[in-house]
Amino acid sequence: MSSKVNLTIDGVDVKADAGANILQAAIDAGLYVPYLCYYPGMKSFGACRMCVVEVEGVRGSPASCTTPVAEGMVVNTNSSDVRDLRKGVMDLLISEHPHGCLNCHRIDLCGPSDICLRHVSVTDRCVTCPKNERCELKDTVRYLEMDLDTPLTYNNRHLPQAVDDPLWEMDLNLCIVCGRCVRACDEIRGDNALTFTDRAGRSLIGTSQGTSLLESGCEFCGACIDVCPTGALVEREHKWDKAVKSVPSICPHCPVGCRMNLEVDKRDRLIRSTPDIHSQSNKGQVCFKGKFGLDFVNNKKRLRKPLVKVKGVHKETSLDEAINYTAEMLSGKTGDKFGVLASPRGTNEDNYLAQKFARVAMGTNNINVSSSLRPELFSVMGDMLGYQAGTNRIWDLESSGAILVVSSNVTEAQNVVAIPVKRAVKSGSNLVVIDQRETELTRFATIWLRPKPGSETVLIGGMIRVIIDESLDDHQMLSETCKNVDQLKNSLWNLDLIKVESITGIASSEIQSAARMLATSSTSAFLYALETLTPNARKSCVEALVNMALVTGNVGKPSTGLYPLFGGANEQGSRDVGCVPDFLPGYRSVNDFEARNSFQEIWQVDLPEKPGYSLNQLENAIRSKKITSLQIIGDSPNFTNGEIGDFINALELLDFLVVHSTFENELTRRADVVLPSATFADKEGTYTNMERRVQILNPVLGPKGDEETDWWIISQIANRMGAKGFSYTSSEEVFQEICDSVHVYKGISYDRLKNDGIQWPCLEEGDSGTPTLYEGGWGDQRPRLSPIEVLDSPDDLSGTDYPLVLAKGRVLHQDQRPAGVSLKDKRNVISRDEVVEMNSLDARNLGITEGERVEIISSSRQRLSGLVQFTGSHKGVVYTTALFGEIVTELDQSTDPDPILKLEELPLVAVRVEKTSS
Amino acid sequence: MTVPSGEIHSVIQDALSTQKHPTVTVLSSLLAIQDRIGYLPDEAIEETASFMRTSVNDVWGVASFYKNFRFELPATHIVEVCWGPTCSLLGATKVIQKIQSLLGISGEGDTPDRRATLRYNTCLGACAQAPVVSIDHDLKGRVDSERVAAEIHDIFNDKV
Repeated sequence: MSSKVNLTIDGVDVKADAGANILQAAIDAGLYVPYLCYYPGMKSFGACRMCVVEVEGVRGSPASCTTPVAEGMVVNTNSSDVRDLRKGVMDLLISEHPHGCLNCHRIDLCGPSDICLRHVSVTDRCVTCPKNERCELKDTVRYLEMDLDTPLTYNNRHLPQAVDDPLWEMDLNLCIVCGRCVRACDEIRGDNALTFTDRAGRSLIGTSQGTSLLESGCEFCGACIDVCPTGALVEREHKWDKAVKSVPSICPHCPVGCRMNLEVDKRDRLIRSTPDIHSQSNKGQVCFKGKFGLDFVNNKKRLRKPLVKVKGVHKETSLDEAINYTAEMLSGKTGDKFGVLASPRGTNEDNYLAQKFARVAMGTNNINVSSSLRPELFSVMGDMLGYQAGTNRIWDLESSGAILVVSSNVTEAQNVVAIPVKRAVKSGSNLVVIDQRETELTRFATIWLRPKPGSETVLIGGMIRVIIDESLDDHQMLSETCKNVDQLKNSLWNLDLIKVESITGIASSEIQSAARMLATSSTSAFLYALETLTPNARKSCVEALVNMALVTGNVGKPSTGLYPLFGGANEQGSRDVGCVPDFLPGYRSVNDFEARNSFQEIWQVDLPEKPGYSLNQLENAIRSKKITSLQIIGDSPNFTNGEIGDFINALELLDFLVVHSTFENELTRRADVVLPSATFADKEGTYTNMERRVQILNPVLGPKGDEETDWWIISQIANRMGAKGFSYTSSEEVFQEICDSVHVYKGISYDRLKNDGIQWPCLEEGDSGTPTLYEGGWGDQRPRLSPIEVLDSPDDLSGTDYPLVLAKGRVLHQDQRPAGVSLKDKRNVISRDEVVEMNSLDARNLGITEGERVEIISSSRQRLSGLVQFTGSHKGVVYTTALFGEIVTELDQSTDPDPILKLEELPLVAVRVEKTSS
Repeated sequence: MTVPSGEIHSVIQDALSTQKHPTVTVLSSLLAIQDRIGYLPDEAIEETASFMRTSVNDVWGVASFYKNFRFELPATHIVEVCWGPTCSLLGATKVIQKIQSLLGISGEGDTPDRRATLRYNTCLGACAQAPVVSIDHDLKGRVDSERVAAEIHDIFNDKV
């Protein structure tokens, strides 16, 4: 516990942490001191001098943001001297900022359509500022009660507006150089995409040599926009729109579950999202998806009416009729030939009812989530540790001493998780990255290991061998807690370093240093997405990682643990509530007689025993007519990107297909019934994020057409089929049932989720949740180690036509390879030649010399060209690294209604390389 | 001095790795490059960023702060004229006009052939010798139009 200091601020006795500054103490005590450059969560800067105060016995007027509190200190924040001083400071500040708007006496009187009575030029009027009515500078001026004698003339910088970049706009004529944006980008995000330029009176913010953000290392997270106190930095989309209300909700784009305030205008459109600074899951941060990727809810192409296929043509109908028709059709199709695919954007309530519908009304375990490509990430943890979930809090990573990241493109897939990782590295922690691709985190890595494709498990096994051989393991954990220690040790005898070196292609010295880093740190965390591994290799790789966490004693303590990085926003919650082919809600196996029995009592039906098909088996099941009808809720890129085979075309073979959708797409075109589905912004419900935090979504937009929440549609279909137990009146009622049947949710209720989420297990009303799993010991459920399994013949990605493997990476910035930004259709785009790194032997076989231009053709016929460079790359693998700016440009220009959903991932692909005949 | 574009990276890297002072910072690195090649091209910012493991934007923040850093290839000769109060009173204006007419430029800047560059200076620190000019950091005191003309003439004959 830090010690407390007593001081008096404006006659109020205040207790503050020793080391805090006066401004923070005042804010915490509910007192207002004006400030512009300070921002909660960032280091004090002391630039704007707006927070000056008087301290008795201290000469002058110190800035309260840079003055630490002291015992017995007496502070006056509002004496007439201080007020005068602040007005003087503000006079200077606004001498370079148009301020007709700031200190106008009509500020409360004007309506939006009134004519300006102040004699300011047309371009200086308040309505010409995008931040009009939500400007911190204006609020501060009003608080200071500035006299009206401030001259309206000001030193106009006459700088052109920066409007060429995607997604954002900058008007440096409005900048007051408080530096919040520069510091947010550096201190919080670790990107340094912005800096102060020039000096003294000409100092402003900008990028190196004034280049585009596309090549300055920007990740377009909008953190700079969120902290800007003026109209200098704004989002381009809905730039001028004014909000009439702001509703807190959860981002539907990834499993971090960022809580944000969503602003809605008077036409009921979602116009802006600002991250919630008090949220435990994201701490005031979001990413490009949450900041700029929510406009799809306003899209005019949204489905508002149900469609029913009559003689091959979709006809609009009423929701009632569509539901009746679906219920009638499905009545005859109960059993294992039917299946449900729930949406990863579905709430716990939606997906609980989806699985209940499949099991109770349709009598099948064919239920899954369409994002569940890598179920091994969870299932192995269930087998070895107990819970099928990540063990620790996201932001605890900030204080991890060492972090291992395996095959994860965190920056794009779970962006906010990268922030605590980068911050840990900046404060001296070690980061080990295992990945064939160059990603943003490899730039931050202390050690970056690029094993041959498919050899990850062997590499991790080799690291465990080093840890055991050098006696760096947690002896107590191994001798007293873990089961199967001998089995693991026996499997390691196979993995001597010489063998590991030859299989992985990584020098044994590197393997040793990486292993030592992870074993000697008192807290090590393990993050894994396994995006570049083949399905067969994933299980053993997760086993190896869990082994490593247990062997080094990094489970059950804060800032340690295992973080599975999956894709779907509510994939964790969906699994919790039973959207899994082999588990009932609460991870109770469908084979378990007792579990089935207890649900049979609650649901009052006989439950099917046979586990359902996994996502990867589904295409074959359809083609072999083992599945003849499907209900698919929500769209997923996996239907079309080949991850689960040629799924989309297999759908043609179905007898009956129901699709719940927000837009018309490839999927709805093949559907017999299309039901308009509500988006995250239209509904109430809960999501569970990757750190097991159950968070509440609030309806942000009002109803516009026939679209409905999926749980309601499903319950209506079930009711009309005569199924029992589907009469719910609200999502809260559904959530109650979830809490009753999933024991780790027992103590959670909507009321308790109002302020912030709760991490399960939460077993009773007074339980504040569990930030760290297994912290309270293991009880009877001791963790089980698992022998390292080395596949005899790892899956070969390549084939005869495509003999090489391409590992394409993406980073925010490459120092020595400029992006070559050019203007195209009035927007900046990246136009540079890519470099293709090749093994010289591979190149020689193809008759390619260094510096030559080649074309890479993938098995899915995608093409990519670049100049060859010989590096120490493994034989059979080619590497290339693109810039993140490319996908931002793509998103910005996409005509797709929901482009974030279609974002291209970076799997390893089989390719052939050809010389370009020039 | 001009560095062939193919060698610029290696020249910069050499300048970075052979810094004399034990404390290597962004600032010392930028100075080392400017000492070697006379200015900071784009590559200097990029190389310094990766050498110091920081971002190009941070390096630019430092580089753009200091007036002493140049971002364009300097001309062969630098002519600085003091226009501080003493020099102005003793005829700096005429000297400036003479130099400008000889160099064929108006205001500060490079001659089109990049043989010489003219800069105003607020004080060259030799008021007793006013008016003062500095040619390639070589101070010349008590100058007048004729003396300056002779010095400039020498530049164009490559005598300096």
